[in-house]
Amino acid sequence: MKENLTRSGIKLSPVYQPTKLDDDYGKRFGNPGEYPFTRGTRAYSGQGWIQRELSGEGDARRSNEQFKYLMSLGQTGLDVIGDSPTMSLMDPDHPLARYTVGTQGVSLCCHEDYRQLLEDIPLDQMSISSSAPSMFTVASLYLVAQERGVSPAKLRGSVIEWPFYSEHCSYAYKMPFDLHLRMSCDVIEFCSKHMPRFHGYLEDTYFFSEAGLNAVEEAALGFVEIRHIVRTLLARGLDIDSFAPRIAILTNCSMDFYEEIAKIRAMRRIYARMMKEEFGAKDPRSQAVNIAVHTSGLSLTTEQPANNIVRGAVQTVALGLAGVSALEISTFDEGYRTPSKEAHLVGLRTQQVIDLETNINAVQDPFGGSWFMESLTDQVEARILAMVKDIESRGDPADLVSSGFFKQFFHGTMGRYHHQVQDGEVVKVGMNVHQMPAAEDTLLRDISEEKIPPLFDRIEQLKAWRAARDQAQLLAALGRVHDVVKSGENMMEAVLDATRVGATMGEIAGVLRQAWGTPYDPYGYLKSPLGGEQ
Amino acid sequence: MSAIRVLVGVLGMDQHEVGAVAIAKTLRDEGMEVIYTGCFNTPETIVRTAIEEDADVIGISSHSWEYLYYMPELIELLKHNALDIPVVLGGSVITEEDAASMRAKGVAAVFGSGSVMANVVASVKSLAARDTAH
Repeated sequence: MKENLTRSGIKLSPVYQPTKLDDDYGKRFGNPGEYPFTRGTRAYSGQGWIQRELSGEGDARRSNEQFKYLMSLGQTGLDVIGDSPTMSLMDPDHPLARYTVGTQGVSLCCHEDYRQLLEDIPLDQMSISSSAPSMFTVASLYLVAQERGVSPAKLRGSVIEWPFYSEHCSYAYKMPFDLHLRMSCDVIEFCSKHMPRFHGYLEDTYFFSEAGLNAVEEAALGFVEIRHIVRTLLARGLDIDSFAPRIAILTNCSMDFYEEIAKIRAMRRIYARMMKEEFGAKDPRSQAVNIAVHTSGLSLTTEQPANNIVRGAVQTVALGLAGVSALEISTFDEGYRTPSKEAHLVGLRTQQVIDLETNINAVQDPFGGSWFMESLTDQVEARILAMVKDIESRGDPADLVSSGFFKQFFHGTMGRYHHQVQDGEVVKVGMNVHQMPAAEDTLLRDISEEKIPPLFDRIEQLKAWRAARDQAQLLAALGRVHDVVKSGENMMEAVLDATRVGATMGEIAGVLRQAWGTPYDPYGYLKSPLGGEQ
Repeated sequence: MSAIRVLVGVLGMDQHEVGAVAIAKTLRDEGMEVIYTGCFNTPETIVRTAIEEDADVIGISSHSWEYLYYMPELIELLKHNALDIPVVLGGSVITEEDAASMRAKGVAAVFGSGSVMANVVASVKSLAARDTAH
């Protein structure tokens, strides 16, 4: 391992600790890689974080080109997001999807799309993180890996699970909570058996915290969901150490510099203690949670978009100091669109400058032992724990989802944030202070405002492709999906079989709803290929 | 005088409700009756609800470019139904240029990023007054 020196030649140690180690240090901190992992989940590797930028635009082929472009710039992991219909289990030829196909992410609905998306990508080397419905993403990744002769056991990356909050924040499945939860748990169980290096459960606190939540609220709601999913998996008879090593968290990072660092340190400690003391995890990997971060889109402005580059850089520094495993910067054009080619370049170069030029990765947890940071970490931790306790004292968290408790909570935080910005309590340079006339606000504006047109062609192509499939095979496979829902067994094998013969995500999701006794198409436009009332 | 009735909704697959929720709350605080229709609306559902609820003003919040297609459809559908209900559009993704194009197509008022809430409220009030004067 290379020795790190300051420019003056002072040797930097990978970690600094008190000169006298006592019990308190071991209980509250531990060195990086040691329980309770406050200071980091791994001992020093010198590798820094996985650098990636959010990608996905148009169809799978165009997104594959984006991947290759980002990899040519030195990106070390992939991060892909589906467009709005994809995120909501809707195929692109659904009438409601028409004007949004491929405009805010990549349009994905079948196995063939994933073949194109992953063409020439070294599946055994590149970590692939997906913001897309987990059941279908995992099924397609698994099948593509098999076809390419790569063992699914070698796949790395993650997929988000969001049964608690997706209906109320951005990406509705329009499914009963119990069905969504079961899908998540089936995916996690499947991945722990067949894709042991892949995080089948990424707790994504980013997307719902964009509803204006503060750091404490974000972490607390994340832990409420993690705890419920863990309990559900344990109730299936699974051993905690069979799945917990592959739980990871994706958090947000606002502009509140110190608190964001404290949040990540506190979350690592809370997670470790919860897993060990409450859930009885023995494997240290079950106690050490990888935290990846997507910097806050909500913190950015459409005014003076160049200011957003600075915001991304400041957030990246905070996260480098906090010690995260992977990072995406919300880019300067975020207020209007998913990242342009130019924004990808700036985002990735920002990460690289901070990683390679500043010595930031030479020392782990450099704030450790700071009177201020330890006090803030303790206070953030205490507030997160109190809020988790408060929510759980209100009843079964699953009932709170169904009763609309969280929906109401998010509506409150959305309104609160809006007023905070309107009143100037949350300062945004260029928006509520230091504004400039629109005519002068031109720097990077042309790139930011450039639009991605909807893929109307894809809708027609998909309709033709649908009709050309072997219908008997398709119906039989969808029938088996229907049956497995009723049987209560893990649904993944049936979903894999259906995906293999060309069933689309929308069709499989519809059949899952139908088997659950709810409408095939919750929007009322489509009929089930299996027939029936719904 | 009865309270102004405002329908507030989001169109298509756009699921960013922050703006819609905030404006609904503000208008309620101003004493208006808000019919909040949430996400997944189409021009058809908006018009149907506006008729059923006897809305004075329709407010659409948008954080997706879908509005570029849906808003002209909505305006046409209102005309087709001989309804003279003013439509207000708000959302941070709306550029100056697109705001002008929306106004030209018959949207009564457009509010982009950084708009002051008080201006939105005043606009809704004056449009509702104009509406009842017919």
